[in-house]
Amino acid sequence: MSDLTPVAILALAAVGAVAVACLETLVAGLRPAPIGATRQALAGLREPISHPRTYDSWLFHLAPGLLLVAALSALAMVPWAPGFRGIELETGAILFPAALAYVTPAVFMAGWGGGSPLAVIGGFRFIALMLGYAMPIAMVATAVAAPVGSLRPAAIVDLQGTTVPMALAQPYSLALWVPAVMAVALLPPFDVATARGELGGGAFERYTGLEAALIALARRVLLLAVAGMTAALFLSGWHGPWLPDWLWMAVKTAAVATLMLYAGRRMPRLEIERLLTLAWKVAVPGAIAAIVLAGGTTLLFYV
Amino acid sequence: MSDLTTALVFWPAGVLMLVTALYVFITSSMARAGLLLLAALALEGLLFLALASEFLGVLMLLMMSAEMVIMVFFMVMFMPDPGGLMGMDMVHDKRRSAGAAVVVGLLLAVVAVLTDWPAQVLPPDAPDVRAIGFEVMGRSMFSFLFAGMAILFTMVGGIMVAKQGGRYGVQAPAGEVR
Repeated sequence: MSDLTPVAILALAAVGAVAVACLETLVAGLRPAPIGATRQALAGLREPISHPRTYDSWLFHLAPGLLLVAALSALAMVPWAPGFRGIELETGAILFPAALAYVTPAVFMAGWGGGSPLAVIGGFRFIALMLGYAMPIAMVATAVAAPVGSLRPAAIVDLQGTTVPMALAQPYSLALWVPAVMAVALLPPFDVATARGELGGGAFERYTGLEAALIALARRVLLLAVAGMTAALFLSGWHGPWLPDWLWMAVKTAAVATLMLYAGRRMPRLEIERLLTLAWKVAVPGAIAAIVLAGGTTLLFYV
Repeated sequence: MSDLTTALVFWPAGVLMLVTALYVFITSSMARAGLLLLAALALEGLLFLALASEFLGVLMLLMMSAEMVIMVFFMVMFMPDPGGLMGMDMVHDKRRSAGAAVVVGLLLAVVAVLTDWPAQVLPPDAPDVRAIGFEVMGRSMFSFLFAGMAILFTMVGGIMVAKQGGRYGVQAPAGEVR
């Protein structure tokens, strides 16, 4: 970690958020206008922030910052190119779920602090769903690390360069991982906490001005982080023929992000009861089974 | 990390941890208490990271976030004390528990100061590290699993006792009109 790392991460977040916003308009079938959209977003900053008259409004004002910190920390764990790594720790693959785990309190604080009934319901929904996404993310991170024998994301990428991508070696892990990270990134069809048509914005209902902009930024950084980590852990990251390392990673991340956004546009939002049933009866046992399967695969093919 | 960075993270995080932990018992809002406890435990994870105990720190940050958020959920569900109207208190049996806390805290401090802590860092493949790994994953695993299952059954049982009759409510006893 060099002294420039924080600057690089912030720059990546700023550029990446605009790129994700352009992807969103593209997936929606519109022509992206990054300059106009940025200008509009900056104009929105001049709007005053709202002050809900609740006793826990300090939680309301703390939540956007916590959400952004969690998203930026997750972004910093992603191995973007062989030399470029934000926070490089031996336990990076576990630190990524740890960073994402702080999205849950942030959404709850936003809902609870906002105080309106729909916002509180949104926050509670996100907690109720938590085991459904937190368990698969942490378990799958361990499952893809098992053949590598290291929790360092860069080591997981490099093993896929010499063998096969994890998407082929552990398709069950990928099947658990993608819905889970989409749920934590508050993407439809799993966006029950912020359901726009149903809860009218849910946990983020009351935010305006700077705080709304922070949340919009954090959500895009979050999508960038989970798409990048998916590309790194499952699609062999920067490995590929002809193109330079960083370009491969950018292409794969963009492809994953596009597919996630497209899936959200094509599928109706899942009803909370049905989603909880899926989370508890499929995702959680599936995550435990994935660990066992990954252990078997490791012993059979990698050791 | 250099000594200066360690000190710059350790002392402010340590003080903030104690303050948040204290406020857990002062506030009467369950949501606030749970989130303050989360803050205290996350800061404790930072302390581990500052002391170069990387895995423990990361695990603390990961597990405590999930656990404390679940606890907020349960505490708001089962211990609603709107605006302190019910006179509920976070502390029970005040005098004796304060005495026990002071005695235990002093004992731990004495142990921490007087123990001759080993200074050298072991490599990952040292025989001691291997032995701990085999102990944890072998013989001790049964007690860990048992403890985990006990906690899970307690949680499920607690909800079932508290919410007898299941999700559709309790049927009125024979003869009673509701």
